[in-house]
Amino acid sequence: MKVFAGFDINGQTHELGIEPHQLLIEVLRDHLGLTGTKHSCGVGNCGACTVLVDGVPVLACMTLALAVRGKRILTIEGLAGGPELHPLQRAFVDLGAIQCGYCTPGMILTAKALLDRNPAPTAAEVREALAGNICRCTGYVKIVEAVLAAAEKMRGREVAP
Amino acid sequence: MYRLLTPFDYFEPQSVREAVELLARFGHRARVIAGGTDLVISMKKRQLTPECLIALAGLEELRFIEFDPVAGLRLGPLCTHAEIARSPLVREHFGMLATACNEVGTPQVRNMGTIGGNLCKAGPSQDTPPPLVALEAKLRLLGPQGERVVPLDQFCTGPFCTVLSSDELVVEILIPPLPPGGAGCYKWFTKVTVTDETLAGAGVVVVRGPGDVCADVRIGLGSVAPMAIRARKAEALLRGNRPAPGLVWEAAERAAQEAEPRSRAAYRRHLVKVLVNEAITELWPLTADLPGGLG
Repeated sequence: MKVFAGFDINGQTHELGIEPHQLLIEVLRDHLGLTGTKHSCGVGNCGACTVLVDGVPVLACMTLALAVRGKRILTIEGLAGGPELHPLQRAFVDLGAIQCGYCTPGMILTAKALLDRNPAPTAAEVREALAGNICRCTGYVKIVEAVLAAAEKMRGREVAP
Repeated sequence: MYRLLTPFDYFEPQSVREAVELLARFGHRARVIAGGTDLVISMKKRQLTPECLIALAGLEELRFIEFDPVAGLRLGPLCTHAEIARSPLVREHFGMLATACNEVGTPQVRNMGTIGGNLCKAGPSQDTPPPLVALEAKLRLLGPQGERVVPLDQFCTGPFCTVLSSDELVVEILIPPLPPGGAGCYKWFTKVTVTDETLAGAGVVVVRGPGDVCADVRIGLGSVAPMAIRARKAEALLRGNRPAPGLVWEAAERAAQEAEPRSRAAYRRHLVKVLVNEAITELWPLTADLPGGLG
């Protein structure tokens, strides 16, 4: 039986008729065409489907869509908020932290949640925060470097008038 | 495994009372969902195909962390592992539980999964039961017939089995305070990386008594038996004695004998020995001049 529910996704409200058994990832990818959120392991090991719900990284492939209605959902499509890339996205591109790109949206959103909470993390704190996001291409070194570089840039931007 | 779920009816009770009424009405046809990190996987694998889900996430009355020096720590079952791991109250009084909660799954799983769901799953290799059995935690269960309080080491009856009946709900986790001179820690070893399953875990509490003897010791072992167990023979060796290095090692060896690992038994027993020895050796100096308990 369909339920009509309101979702706040990337700052926009969507009224959708969905079934209780539908997962958040289905709603994002199939109903709204937000295919930046990736489907991979399906069992909570890889982090590719990570989105932020009220600022907290959660797995869209294991979340019932109805459970997050009314909550603030951020996907990779909503990060930049304009034509300019978000500093995290810019740093991932500039420092070669992307290869195949499949893990990138989850990596960047998890990193954003970390920097919101801790604007000046150490490399060890970055690695710990990203422990639930698997990358099979880069070897992680450049990803950690990119997060640290973005953090520095974002701190600078906050200080500057 | 399938990527999508099969249809079910979905209920969002507005109170614990209503949740219990729904459970009584649907019994085995229903499943409770909290964080969903375990249930959703079982449903994708079609190991479980419940007719209806009862979602607890909206029940704020099941989400609390409170400490009282006499009663101890009271945890709501809906607290996530991440909330417990970073709670100043838990870190101050029962750091070993915060440590264990920080070892569950990945950061995302810790943000979603709840302590109540974790305990009800009763998986043999989970990280939270060893420290909780060492802390002598109890669960308060609510059903149509009323409440009952069950010690955690009697709650689990085997791998993935508990005494919880299909119309009961865990409504509170109670952890009594440690006595003065008591300290505890959680030690573990995983397969390869930090997000892998735990091969052996030891939650240990040591209490220093008058005459500098070990007045009490509690050793909770995980991943090395069908459920988290207490190594009571090892505890008996230490209790009432001064924990000299030789005696601690003997107790650690006894704990290893009490373990019943299913696979890689010799290796896991060795890990138990090392972890228990390390835990007690590190804890004992900390218990000197402790005004209160330090979990």
